[in-house]
Amino acid sequence: MAWATQVISIVQAATVLLLAPLIAGISYRFKAWTESRSGPSIFQPYYDLAKYLRKETLLPEGSSRIFYVAPFVAFGAYLLISEVVPVITPYPIPFASTVDFLGGGLLFGLAGTVTLLAAIDSGSNYAALGASRTVSFAAFAEPTLIIVFFAVAVITGTNNPYVTNNLLAASTSAYLSPTHLLVTAAFFLLLLAETGKLPVESAGAMEFGMLEDGRTFEHSGRLLGVNRWNGWLKQFLLYSVFVNVFALPWGMSSAPTAEGTLANVALLLAKLLALVGVMTVVEATLAKVRLFKIRDFLALSFSLAVLAVFAFAVLGVP
Amino acid sequence: MDSSAEVVALVGVGILLTALYLQSESFVDPLIRAIALQSLLLGVLLGWLAWTEHSVDLAILAALAVAVRVLFIPYVLRRQIRAFRWRVRELHAAHRVTGHALAAVVLAIVAWFVFQETLASIFPEPGAALPFILLVEGLLMLATRSNTIVQVIGYLEEENAVVYAGALFAQAFPLFVEVVVFLDVLGVVLVGVILSIQRDVIGTPEESALEELAG
Repeated sequence: MAWATQVISIVQAATVLLLAPLIAGISYRFKAWTESRSGPSIFQPYYDLAKYLRKETLLPEGSSRIFYVAPFVAFGAYLLISEVVPVITPYPIPFASTVDFLGGGLLFGLAGTVTLLAAIDSGSNYAALGASRTVSFAAFAEPTLIIVFFAVAVITGTNNPYVTNNLLAASTSAYLSPTHLLVTAAFFLLLLAETGKLPVESAGAMEFGMLEDGRTFEHSGRLLGVNRWNGWLKQFLLYSVFVNVFALPWGMSSAPTAEGTLANVALLLAKLLALVGVMTVVEATLAKVRLFKIRDFLALSFSLAVLAVFAFAVLGVP
Repeated sequence: MDSSAEVVALVGVGILLTALYLQSESFVDPLIRAIALQSLLLGVLLGWLAWTEHSVDLAILAALAVAVRVLFIPYVLRRQIRAFRWRVRELHAAHRVTGHALAAVVLAIVAWFVFQETLASIFPEPGAALPFILLVEGLLMLATRSNTIVQVIGYLEEENAVVYAGALFAQAFPLFVEVVVFLDVLGVVLVGVILSIQRDVIGTPEESALEELAG
């Protein structure tokens, strides 16, 4: 059945590429509802994407090739991540053996770094400000991510997300262990920070507190389109990792058949909808913290992650 | 690990989490709610142990913990902050949040290593280090804070640590009940009487700073 898993790996990449804008559109819609607006269509990100890809691309004077290439490199990195983490399958697909959890983290890092380089290369003050802010907070977020990986490795004895998924789906006691609950909480806080949600960042181009969006200030046309798509891909992949590896590992069909795969895609959508609902509640109820208070937020996330590993040491069980 | 031990472990980690929250919070009112939550978790733990071990002593202690530590002492403390005027937050603590949170984590790890080196051979059960860590966190709180009510909260955390340790290791010990009752009385006297005397006789070092800001 080698060809079957190869087909499924293509289906998985297509799922990520095509559904990422949809999930973004649904979250905009949900957010609009909490503000008593009817909001844009859930397909608006697709329309935006089509518009950006048709528009003229302008390059800032003095920018080098990095500015032009970076969005595509980041896109490639996200596409590769979509092949190595459990998105629609609880079993590894052909590319999955290339990297483990840490490798996936490094690929996210690669995509983030080239976007930063492009921001600095643009020569714009706003983009450079966004880049420097992103880096100053990433310096606090990355250690948390590493500790989260440690905690996951502690639970399963390996650093493979598929093993984590299977173990947590099979064992209630592993799921309810303090280590897993704490690491899930830490990863959720990190998720808020990494996907630009309140209380860390309020999205929108007119926002002085923006972090991620600031980096793509100078991109236009096709490059902006790819950058936006990258943002949605990052959100979709992080959400998928959160629901499949941490919060809701259950229910995925392990049969590499067409029906099983379709059911898995539907299940993933349902899980992501639930997560988007939670995110909307978080965004509707929390105020944005001041810029320098983001450090406190990330320190809390770091403490939870350390405590997760620590709980394993103290209690002697995962 | 059986399910009973898993419940004890989960509640224990919850208590540890409240201890870390207590370290990083600078507002006094949420601190009072947090110490009440910590005591409630302790009450749940005592209740669970009473249920699994069919111990009347522990059931009495659980009821006592909820009545005194969750309801009465937080109530008195909140009355105190209304009377004291420095109810809002501890002065100059806001910029130390990150440092306090990380110091608390580091201290917990150090305390665990100390426990492993010294007491682990006597108490080999998993989770036995948690009361010890809680005790050290309470000491850190007493040492780093300058606000009297916050220090009282640190003292209450120490009490919780003692009760927690007793619940894990000395359930069959009748003296344990008496020690806890004594500590409760001490706590009530502390928050009810000594704080009032301090307010009326000595005042607080923060009062002048706050009056300066009153306009």
